[in-house]
Amino acid sequence: MKKKMALILCIAMAAMCLSGCSKNTESFATKQESKESLTTIRIWHDGDKAIMQMMEHRLNEALSDNGITVKFEQKSGLTDQIKLYESDEVNGPDMYMYAHDSLGMFVEMGALAPLADVIDKKVYADMLPMTLKAGNYKDSQYLMPVYFETLLFIYNKDLWEGEVPSTTDELYSYMKNHTDITKGTYALVNQHSTAYNVAPFINGFGGFIMNEQAKPGLSDEKTKEAVEYHKKFADLEADGDYNTVNALFNEGKAAAIIGGPWLIAGVKEAKINYGIKSLSDFTLPNGNALAPYSGVQGIGVMKHAAEAKKDAVAKVLEEIANPEIGIDLAENSGCAPANQKSYESKTVANDEMIAAMRRTADTAQPMPNIPQMSVMWGPTESLLAAVNKSGKDFSTAADEYQKVAENAIADMK
Amino acid sequence: MKKKNKFLPWGYSFSSILLIGLIVVFPIIYTIYISFTNMNLYHWTDYEFIAFSNYRRALTKLDSGFMSALFTTIIWTVLNMVIQIFVAYLVALGLNVKGLKLARLYKTLLMFPWAMPAYVSILLWRVGMYNPQYGLLNKILSALGFSKVDFLSENIPAFLSCMVLNLWMALPFLIMMMDGAFQSVDNSYYESAKLDGAGWWAQNLYITIPSIKPILAPSIIMTTFTTFKQFDIIYLLTMQKGSLTGATLQTVITYAHQNAFVSNNYGLSSAVSIVIFGFIILFSLFINRGIREEKA
Repeated sequence: MKKKMALILCIAMAAMCLSGCSKNTESFATKQESKESLTTIRIWHDGDKAIMQMMEHRLNEALSDNGITVKFEQKSGLTDQIKLYESDEVNGPDMYMYAHDSLGMFVEMGALAPLADVIDKKVYADMLPMTLKAGNYKDSQYLMPVYFETLLFIYNKDLWEGEVPSTTDELYSYMKNHTDITKGTYALVNQHSTAYNVAPFINGFGGFIMNEQAKPGLSDEKTKEAVEYHKKFADLEADGDYNTVNALFNEGKAAAIIGGPWLIAGVKEAKINYGIKSLSDFTLPNGNALAPYSGVQGIGVMKHAAEAKKDAVAKVLEEIANPEIGIDLAENSGCAPANQKSYESKTVANDEMIAAMRRTADTAQPMPNIPQMSVMWGPTESLLAAVNKSGKDFSTAADEYQKVAENAIADMK
Repeated sequence: MKKKNKFLPWGYSFSSILLIGLIVVFPIIYTIYISFTNMNLYHWTDYEFIAFSNYRRALTKLDSGFMSALFTTIIWTVLNMVIQIFVAYLVALGLNVKGLKLARLYKTLLMFPWAMPAYVSILLWRVGMYNPQYGLLNKILSALGFSKVDFLSENIPAFLSCMVLNLWMALPFLIMMMDGAFQSVDNSYYESAKLDGAGWWAQNLYITIPSIKPILAPSIIMTTFTTFKQFDIIYLLTMQKGSLTGATLQTVITYAHQNAFVSNNYGLSSAVSIVIFGFIILFSLFINRGIREEKA
């Protein structure tokens, strides 16, 4: 009896193991047939909860008459999640909202539908050209831009002496005179070995990390020139680690920091009397302005949703393109809207940080959105760390990491 | 009756075999399968069989930097294990000294680094110990009038810094294992040895070490493998995305990660994984053979 019971339990356990692997076809069929599922749009994101809740509330309010429900679902490690669920109509997203630099990867995977499959071009005609460029891949628009971010020069008004300079050479002179490494006080701190934070110099010098033809530019003469010029700044900018530079600025040990709008919450909490200057307002020795990268948060449509839920998706996109959403985002979360019309609002136009980002948008370059860019950050940051932290010769290091980058790109295929 | 007896054991263990098959064997077989295909970003769903092409590429990679990564890994494993065994032995001996007060408290405190999540420990050390601005070590150096040191920007100091952290995190386990093993040694051996005039060294060499060896062997093998395939410490201290320190330390696993897993080329990554898997199997055979020979 005991033996039989044990055998039955073993078989039951094995059956349970196998049933766990089975596909729930019933719920799939039910979902497909249900009218409700056709009007429910699930948007995956990996962003700020407050921003997403605000957008969800705004969209649901506007689309309630159409019977459309929008659900923003936060997924950590979004790119990996999309790789797994991109074609899963039941468990995957209908749309996703994320930074534009992974766009090319998703398009090459065959996950996304061009916006033209769902809406007319006119819907997104008012978006800033830079944000549209960010969401465009191989001449097709895939992302509806929502807001963008770019680096800013944030300074402590109580610590900074005199006017903030308008050339990088003057800035360097100020740094030399106001930095005491032994005491641990700095004029300016920056994540000097992070590619995104050094890009304003590289782009401003006419160099590039990667061009549109997917060619790495670490050994490009202009890039080398920029890295060499930037090194003297790095020597006066502390360790360059994200936490270190933020702590130095928020503790009043650094008079200025180069960072994004995401730092502002911490700066306010630290009760710093801060001012903001656009990086475009700094001129390099070659006469060009610093040209930071910009990151555009945009919404893309999964292929299956563009087919099965075309009408609902179109309504959602049209509502996202509404300038009012941009105004709400700017007023409540300090985001710089992608829609140019949102800047007609006085509160948006008068916001110091948003105005600085809007000004930077004219010189900022969207991060490359080609898939090869995903393997470029590593070699670029290794080059910067080798030069700025380990004191290696910039030219030799640039040639070495150019090869690393070329190998990494070759490995993708 | 005989037939029934043959079937029954399989019947009882079928569910476990199935579970192990699904969790352990299936991923390995699937990885081998993927390693023979061109599954990558550009062939996400339409991947094809490409025979040994990925293996040819994986072996070329082994030429370029793998050997130095393997050498670093061996040095890392040997140094860590020798120091761990030696220090753990001494600490465990100390904890077993007769009349030691608050021994339980010390043992509980010693468990702390081992019980803490590795990610938290590593980041704490990175910021709290090694950071050039805020780290305790640099604060001490500054207080003594020395200039600040960036412990993680050059390979040798970074290697030593990683090793110190690894010892801090891994020692408690071996100390506890040794402490447990010491409890199993019969006190009468020591009493007899003392009567025969054996000193501290002789007691350790001829009684303690031979007695605890068979009990400790599995823990030491486990720790050796954990040390060999260590990834978190080196990656999070020196290679974390956005916080590179300038050191270019590579172990076998960090090398594989950097060269294969960031490329979204799953075919090639799988081939590299299988080659490394082969190395680890060889390493384990080598160690097991060593142990068997020693037993004989």
